[in-house]
Amino acid sequence: MRKKVATAAVLAAGALLITSCSTNKSETPGGNAAGGNQCDTSKGTLTVGVIAPLSGELTALGVGIRNSAQLAVDQANEKCTVKGYKLVLDPQDDEKNPQKAGQAATKLSSDPNTVGVIGTLNSSTSQTVQPILSGKKIVQISPANTSPTLTRGEDYKNAPKRQFDTYFRVCTTDDSQGPFAANYLVQKAGKKKIAVIADGKTYGEGLANEFEAKAKANGATIVAREKVGEKDTDFSGVIGKIKPLAPEAVYYGGEYGAAGPLSKQIKEAGLNIPLMGGDGIVDDTYGKLGGAATQGDLATSVGAPADKLPEAKAFIDAYNAKFPKDQGYSAYGSMSYDATNALIGALATTLANADWSDSQRETLIKNVQSYKQKGANGDIAFDQYGDSTNKLLTVYQVNNGKFEPVETGKLDS
Amino acid sequence: MTTLLQQLVYGLILGGTVGLIALGYTMVYGIVQLINFAHGEIFMVGAFGALATFTWVIPEGVKGTWYITLPLMVIAGAVVSMVLALIIERLAYKPLRNAPRLAPLITALGVSVALKEAVRLWYPGATAPLPFPKAFLAGNIDIGPVVFPKTGLLLIVVTIVLTTLLQIYINKSRMGRAMRATAQDPDVARLMGINPDRTIVLTFAIGAVLAGVAGVLYGIHLTNISIDIGFQNGIFAFTAAVLGGIGSIRGAVIGGFIIGLVKTIAGQYLPGGTQYDYVWIFVVLIAVLVFRPQGLFGETERVRA
Amino acid sequence: MTKTFLSPPIARILGIAGAVLAIVAAMLPWTTFVLNKGAWPDKATLQFFDAPFALTGFRWELFLVGIVALVCSVVKVPAQRRVLRGLGFGVAAIGLVNFLFITAEGGGLGAVTAADGASAFGSVAALVAGGLLILGTFGQPLEEIPRWKTNLPTPVEYLGLLVSFAVLLYVVSLTLTAGGQGGAANPYSGPMFLSFLGFGGGLMAAAAGLGILRWISKLSEKHRAFSIIVLLLCAFLLPFTNAGTEYWMTVAANIGVYAATAIGLNIVVGLAGLLDLGYVAFLGIGAFVAANLSGAAASSLGIHLPFYLVVIISAAIAGIFGAVVGSPTLRVRGDYLAIVTLAFGEIFQIAARNNIGGLTGGSNSIPNIPPLQWFDGTAYNESITLFGTPLPSGVLYYFLIVVLIAAVMAVFANLKNSRMGRAWIAIREDEDAARAMGIKTGKAKILAFLCGAVLAGIAGAVFAHKTSTVGYESFLFMESVTLLAAVILGGMGSIPGAVLGASLLFVLPEKLRAFSDYRLLIFGLALILIMRFRPQGLIPDRHRRAELAGEDAEGHTLAETPGDEPEQPRPQEVPAR
Repeated sequence: MRKKVATAAVLAAGALLITSCSTNKSETPGGNAAGGNQCDTSKGTLTVGVIAPLSGELTALGVGIRNSAQLAVDQANEKCTVKGYKLVLDPQDDEKNPQKAGQAATKLSSDPNTVGVIGTLNSSTSQTVQPILSGKKIVQISPANTSPTLTRGEDYKNAPKRQFDTYFRVCTTDDSQGPFAANYLVQKAGKKKIAVIADGKTYGEGLANEFEAKAKANGATIVAREKVGEKDTDFSGVIGKIKPLAPEAVYYGGEYGAAGPLSKQIKEAGLNIPLMGGDGIVDDTYGKLGGAATQGDLATSVGAPADKLPEAKAFIDAYNAKFPKDQGYSAYGSMSYDATNALIGALATTLANADWSDSQRETLIKNVQSYKQKGANGDIAFDQYGDSTNKLLTVYQVNNGKFEPVETGKLDS
Repeated sequence: MTTLLQQLVYGLILGGTVGLIALGYTMVYGIVQLINFAHGEIFMVGAFGALATFTWVIPEGVKGTWYITLPLMVIAGAVVSMVLALIIERLAYKPLRNAPRLAPLITALGVSVALKEAVRLWYPGATAPLPFPKAFLAGNIDIGPVVFPKTGLLLIVVTIVLTTLLQIYINKSRMGRAMRATAQDPDVARLMGINPDRTIVLTFAIGAVLAGVAGVLYGIHLTNISIDIGFQNGIFAFTAAVLGGIGSIRGAVIGGFIIGLVKTIAGQYLPGGTQYDYVWIFVVLIAVLVFRPQGLFGETERVRA
Repeated sequence: MTKTFLSPPIARILGIAGAVLAIVAAMLPWTTFVLNKGAWPDKATLQFFDAPFALTGFRWELFLVGIVALVCSVVKVPAQRRVLRGLGFGVAAIGLVNFLFITAEGGGLGAVTAADGASAFGSVAALVAGGLLILGTFGQPLEEIPRWKTNLPTPVEYLGLLVSFAVLLYVVSLTLTAGGQGGAANPYSGPMFLSFLGFGGGLMAAAAGLGILRWISKLSEKHRAFSIIVLLLCAFLLPFTNAGTEYWMTVAANIGVYAATAIGLNIVVGLAGLLDLGYVAFLGIGAFVAANLSGAAASSLGIHLPFYLVVIISAAIAGIFGAVVGSPTLRVRGDYLAIVTLAFGEIFQIAARNNIGGLTGGSNSIPNIPPLQWFDGTAYNESITLFGTPLPSGVLYYFLIVVLIAAVMAVFANLKNSRMGRAWIAIREDEDAARAMGIKTGKAKILAFLCGAVLAGIAGAVFAHKTSTVGYESFLFMESVTLLAAVILGGMGSIPGAVLGASLLFVLPEKLRAFSDYRLLIFGLALILIMRFRPQGLIPDRHRRAELAGEDAEGHTLAETPGDEPEQPRPQEVPAR
């Protein structure tokens, strides 16, 4: 027995001592059963980052952003848009927390193959992401940041100054959407007594502020300015407060999750007035949450109506074919799709006759700056601050639970 | 004046919900000295259970008939909440019965987070608020310019009726006496032939049923629910339970109504308006704890090990 | 653990069979085909019987564990069954992780068994091997953990400690880099990291079974000052290892901020026994104060003070708030106090959200806080070169935070052993008795809150500059819960525990980003499981151990042998979904 043990031990020790033989082991790369037409991806893989809230209460919006970017990347891979490279999407969760977003940005930026980042959703998270990506000269295109300060600085009205060369966005800012809504509601719809409610977040408050200023300039009276919690489901306190002031309309800065129930509860309290909001409420869920009470409610959104643009229809069809029903493209899906396409398009131009390296980043930034294409939201191009030049806005009105376009125009300031 | 009356109405309706949830807190805390953080989520799950029943179980033809739909949903919500609470009690709390007191509290936090996430991940569409059917007569009772939603009235009436029944049950029935005895001293209760485990399970079950009913009525009243309703209303309810005096049934419900009124009245009249209305609830809570820790109807605080 | 339902020889044979099978499993193919997302790592479709030393990654880890297990099962080692059981758990964990993930990714059991004419029983074999190894330990009762001499010549002991800490540094660096950086290019980093945890956990359990861990902890207690210096040195050396990437430096610095905060919370919860559910508010107060005094464009004050002044002011203001929040403790006790602190935390959050006094930026938060500057004007977020080694950007923040944690630890340790520290512990144990003994309980409790808040305020000041944006979203209730969980996971009242707890709670989500959707769910379940199975925490405090291990921790000895709790070496639970 003892001998056997010793032999076994010697054998084991001996086996350990043999150094690795030079065996040539290689695995046949396979898998990619996706498409029939194989593109040339000999130069490697490039990463498109996404930073969006993929957990927490804004998941629906974040998932829409991620999926739409995925769609754009997959389409580019199918069409061999970027010659010689395969593109992959690297979605990162920011939990809508600036610090987590910074961490995600650092992670993406430490990968030399990251060509650009789509995101973030919240303006507050973008504030941390911007300097990190800018330091590494990585393009960031946001589908959803609406705070004007991100591109034009704190004093954006009087002394606009570009903040980061690497930062672009395809959505409009609060300072064009809010006033556009104010023009319509006060001048066209003739509402002179308006209650303004916002959800306390960057997007909602910013939009409400811009709306309020313009509405006042147009001669309307703001009878109340209230704030609700983004997670609230019960709005009776606010409604009880504005009801005796007899407003003719309510303007809400925020997203559909609170806006739908708010609209319904306003009407149930006996206030038969329309609610108006921004692009954050333009989602079919709004009609579902608010039911029949949303009839006649108004909203503004960016770009021309989807069904008028063939690009938008193509996007919606492709999206619905690819992703499960419970993952809708949501409010910013088409924006994210356009943003990703802008990045990929600029990348294709950059790498038409060159290989990817850090020195290409400058060129990529220039190419994004000069990018001009038709997207799912109309023309996609960027002005000298990195903002979208597409200032086309559309007013929608709810009919049978769906938003139907009323009029499309530009903000004439 | 109209405004004040209207806000009072809204406050009472919110208070009804909070009171129903608070009953669960006050009973469980009274008997096992556990802040059952997960209780708010049980309320939330009850609402989701009722919604699931409405969506997938109740046949299309009778969905519009409130006297069929409403009882079915209430029963479904109550059953879902109760089963869930019993599972949690058995798997998470019971093994910690003799552990240091921080342990069950942390466990309760964990249960709360896990429940909320489970619903978000696995209930279809729960990442956003979901519409809830109005399975009761829609519309308002108009008292002059003040509107009183019928669903709100239902909530208040149900709260008061259930509380009264519960109070009678605890004061008069054998099980009720067992509960009170266990709350006083589990060891002595055991000597008296009471099975503390069974009593504790019953306490959890009753609390959960009330929370489930509250969840359904809340959904019917506001016609939307989200995964976040649990945490917020849970904290209000705990505040209400403390305000009324832990262990006091009557106190919990009255505390609930006070919380509801404080929120709406503060939102209307105090500086900061609706932005700071939650703050006033917490201020009330702190004030009560500092100046009258036993609450409005509680006994003088027992020193608890 | 006295189940002996197997006869010793059979058990022994099972153990040897398990070890051999583990080695075989490492060389078997693990997947039958190349998965859609990309090949499973380490050439998983191939067998390696002809080239056992060309194994890489998790298969190499499994191979190593198998060899060690084989050697340990044929050679007589001390506490053999404990060692083998630990290794068995490691083998099973590697098998289980890969089994589950390949099955999920490959869309069915075909991927891990046989499909399309190919067979791949690697993970199944590993699972069976792990099971056999564990089963093999049921032949006889588990041995006592052996005790090693701790009165060696001082230089030898120093050497032992040095080697141990060097190994620790290496393990930390390996753990951070295990599985590689996740992302689209490396979709399987999560399972690879978990496999590594199984590997490391198995070896750790084996080491614990051998009594090595206890020996090290006794030695380090004996030579405290030396250990602390070496540990500090190790922390400074981390950026020079493989983990010295910009990403991990950022994560490590973030962890550091939370670890420092967790130590502060440990004063309140761990020492004084006062449960604080709104603690993150003090971190927030410190951060907002620093943000407003940093000269950031968005701050309404527009004052720019030097950092050391800012730290003092942040700490002072946070301390004042700490005393205010703590004042109800004069009248409120226990769980009621927890609710009061929760209420204060919520009030802070609501006030910050509503941009109270224009000081918090509301939902816009306060962005673009300038980075700290080194004396020569180097910004802290630039990369630097030290001793000829280029270090990634963010490393200066990492160093700053290591210093911060060291300072906070020193404060904590001194407080704990001071008159006030003993008063706090007395209050925690029995407040009435403490009062009867002449301790001014009210003063002591408020002081506990104040000290905790001051530490959080300092951490907050660093936090503000590090993240460059301070907004209310960083200070929500969930963060307070996370901090509390860090303290409790690590072990209440224990300094290394708080650091370990914070590290785990912040590293794991980073490592497992692929499951970001399940992050909070796993987090919640983990809290429940820890409380159920190890309420005293991972590194329990010595005094606290007896209390929290429960009443039936039989055979508990008193002060003479403080390190001898009847503890089972438990391999790290793998949170496989």
